[in-house]
Amino acid sequence: MTEQYRSRFRTLTDGSDAPEGADHHVYIGPQHPWAEEPAHFIIHLKGERVVEANIRIGFNLRGIEKAMENRTWRQNVMLVPRACGICSAVHQNVYVRVVDKLAGVEDQISERARLIRMFSLEAERIHSHILWYGILAHDAGFDTMLHITWRDREIIMDIMEEVSGNRVNYSINLPGGVRRDIRPEQVPSIRERLAKLRKQVEYHKKVFTEEASIRNRLQDVGILTKEDAKKTTPNGPTARGSGLPFDVRKTYPYEMYDKIDWDLVYYTEGDVLATTLVRVDETLASIAIMERCLDQLESTQGELLIRVRPRVPEGKYMTRAEAPRGEDIHYGIANGTDKPERYKIRAPSLGNIDATLRRMDSEYIADMPVILRSYDPCFSCTNRVMLINENTGEKLILNQDEFAQKAIKAKKYNRPFF
Amino acid sequence: MSAELKELESILNVTLPEKLVEEVVKVEEGHFDVLASAKNAYDLMKILHEEAGIYHLSTITGYEKEDEFNICYHIQHRIEEEVREVPINFIVTKVDKKNPKAPSMFDFFEAAEYYEREVYDFYGIYFENHPFLQRLILPERWPDDVKPLRKEYSWEQMREITMKIAKEGMEEK
Repeated sequence: MTEQYRSRFRTLTDGSDAPEGADHHVYIGPQHPWAEEPAHFIIHLKGERVVEANIRIGFNLRGIEKAMENRTWRQNVMLVPRACGICSAVHQNVYVRVVDKLAGVEDQISERARLIRMFSLEAERIHSHILWYGILAHDAGFDTMLHITWRDREIIMDIMEEVSGNRVNYSINLPGGVRRDIRPEQVPSIRERLAKLRKQVEYHKKVFTEEASIRNRLQDVGILTKEDAKKTTPNGPTARGSGLPFDVRKTYPYEMYDKIDWDLVYYTEGDVLATTLVRVDETLASIAIMERCLDQLESTQGELLIRVRPRVPEGKYMTRAEAPRGEDIHYGIANGTDKPERYKIRAPSLGNIDATLRRMDSEYIADMPVILRSYDPCFSCTNRVMLINENTGEKLILNQDEFAQKAIKAKKYNRPFF
Repeated sequence: MSAELKELESILNVTLPEKLVEEVVKVEEGHFDVLASAKNAYDLMKILHEEAGIYHLSTITGYEKEDEFNICYHIQHRIEEEVREVPINFIVTKVDKKNPKAPSMFDFFEAAEYYEREVYDFYGIYFENHPFLQRLILPERWPDDVKPLRKEYSWEQMREITMKIAKEGMEEK
């Protein structure tokens, strides 16, 4: 196994370590303002087919783990959500659960505080998923869908702005409870807007399943079989699209997910359409969870925040949560002082990269934008794609829209990319 | 034989030889720490992978413990019929600080390839039989002998090195 194995995480960025048989190389990045991992992709091609897709990561190493060792447990509450731009609430939630457990207060957290934490986590999942499948539609050349989804996403952003004060980085979880309450007078208007959002998301689902122009672009593209998924260990919607029914909320429940009735979504097809539908269905499930949280909040009372001592007793604890992109895992080691001895964060995207690169094997280059997008890498822009024709040395610099248009045309008229 | 080891064996449905296992700690219901020394870790992981059928590796954490390094493999035992996971922190202990060497678990988990490279970057632990043990995350100009997450390097030193290599990069152009 060791002899033939070729790592897809490369160290050279010039493509000189290309696999045999490739005649063209496409370079993307690294200057993507990519929330977690600005990455350099090197796609090796033979004709129009991908031979192998490689990546180089590490362009945005901020040293958060080292920085956390130099700050107190209390200061880190506000540092840890900065690990990711979009799934900040879930990082904070995992962190506060590590602190709660190490400080020995995890049994004293009231149900009301737990429900509000869950409410914020599900809101984040909804806004992240809607954002993602909007951008996926944009990559597939269906800009109408982008505008429709982003318009509807404002509903959930407004709800969370009212509840937490912020549109994205809610910072509502604290060790010992939550920062803010959801007041009873807010609830009717939240319910009304959630009902409206559900109607819209049902419409999104209809578009993805019935509209031929987008469906054909995603169906049977970049298939990841269940066996490959077991081997490359992806997590979250990437794995659930390939028939691995594992969601940390069900498999190892935290907060109150085991006390609320909700449906686990998974598909077995393994193509990009399946991962998309996982996310659309999960958005609907999340709306249902939020509504059930509101139902339970009516009858649940309890202290919102209990005191947690700044000095955390010695110990270590690993815990996980289901972030919008997959399994978020934190491991905290305390040494009895007010600062952590070691704190490890693994955001879900790192685990998904290898599987996604494997999806691209022997696919058309025209399908590359949607496959790369399929694991939700928080691409905020795919500008500056440089294509180099190896025989003539001719260089071609495209921005995202030009690249997408070229890709669509190549696919539509079945003609070469250059 | 400790009660924790017995409970873990009944969940995994395998026998773990007592001479390979250093200690089993029950963190909470259905969540275990398994400790094994660097010498025995490979054989024990082989049993966990091949006999118990564990295939999911979430991540790998390296950390310092007094005069040794520890490497923690966060693996999940997945029971698909019950939609349940049993998290296991597989801790490789007694990795010598002066000459840090540990067996690579790449044979069992393909994902170990990049997670181990991350530990190699940050702690300088050499993984034996790793297929491609090269830098993963640290910048190209980063000095080879500086392993940033070791306790001997302070946050201020890291900042100085970062500024230095950034300046070098600017001047080179």
